[in-house]
Amino acid sequence: MEFLLENILNLVGFLVGLAIGVMSIIGFRNTGSPTLFRLSIAFLSISLGFFVIWTGYTIEDFVIKSGNIERWVQTLGIAIQTIGYFFIAFSHSIKSFFPKSSYFRSVGILPLFLVSSVQLEHIFRSVSFILLVYGAIETMLSYFENKNKGAISVGVGLGLLALGEFLGWYSFVFPESILYTASVTIKIGGLIALFIPVSKVPLTKIKFDGDFE
Amino acid sequence: MTEYRTHMKIIGDILSTTRDDLRDEDGATVTYLIRKANISHSRISRILKTLVSQGLLEQIESQGSNKYRISQTGREFLQAYKTFTNFADNFGLNI
Repeated sequence: MEFLLENILNLVGFLVGLAIGVMSIIGFRNTGSPTLFRLSIAFLSISLGFFVIWTGYTIEDFVIKSGNIERWVQTLGIAIQTIGYFFIAFSHSIKSFFPKSSYFRSVGILPLFLVSSVQLEHIFRSVSFILLVYGAIETMLSYFENKNKGAISVGVGLGLLALGEFLGWYSFVFPESILYTASVTIKIGGLIALFIPVSKVPLTKIKFDGDFE
Repeated sequence: MTEYRTHMKIIGDILSTTRDDLRDEDGATVTYLIRKANISHSRISRILKTLVSQGLLEQIESQGSNKYRISQTGREFLQAYKTFTNFADNFGLNI
């Protein structure tokens, strides 16, 4: 069951990331906007990260058949996704992400110390969690400024991905519990929520214009 | 509080003005665009030069003064700009 859910998650993540990434590239090619360039890197990284893990699971399922995905493949995929989450947070001006107070700074990096004794994968999951929470909060705040309903869906999507990352990271405490399955299911929900407003963008009359910037 | 406008937003404002505000085919004067886009003369001059060189605006000599009107490429760019402004808005971002 977990194996199947993981496969669905990684395939959905790959496709949603690719769709938003390609749309951002089209936007960048048409307008030359650096924001859209950063979004392209973000979502293509997320897509690639999911693809790496999905490939790992598929090879394991059909070729190796050991019952477990290679740990380094999972870590590599999550690391690539973390780069994508970083660029989403960076687009919201990463400066405000780091609190000025030295007390909050020390609290902010606490999760890294908490997981320093376990695998690299958990460090990436905790960093992803922080970046996703930041992205979700900033997106929700932007809704209160411009009342764009799509921002609610993206904010909820990023929030669900953050919750999924948190549960996935926390499941190493209770490895055989329902936490991991819940984490994967919530992340699939998050990806779908991310895609809803993007799917409504009309692209029919947009064409590439390579001459502009 | 004053709203911060990106370079892209200023370009969008200038192109929108030349497309939507002008009914005649003569184009807009620099003074009119300065008032509508709310930026300095030196800055708008640089932007207009870029927009003309990129083919987004057409420069017309009329009675000794320069006027600007939006080109077909400019209209397409403006449509793409508006589409992707909404796209970025969904992520809480400005393009």
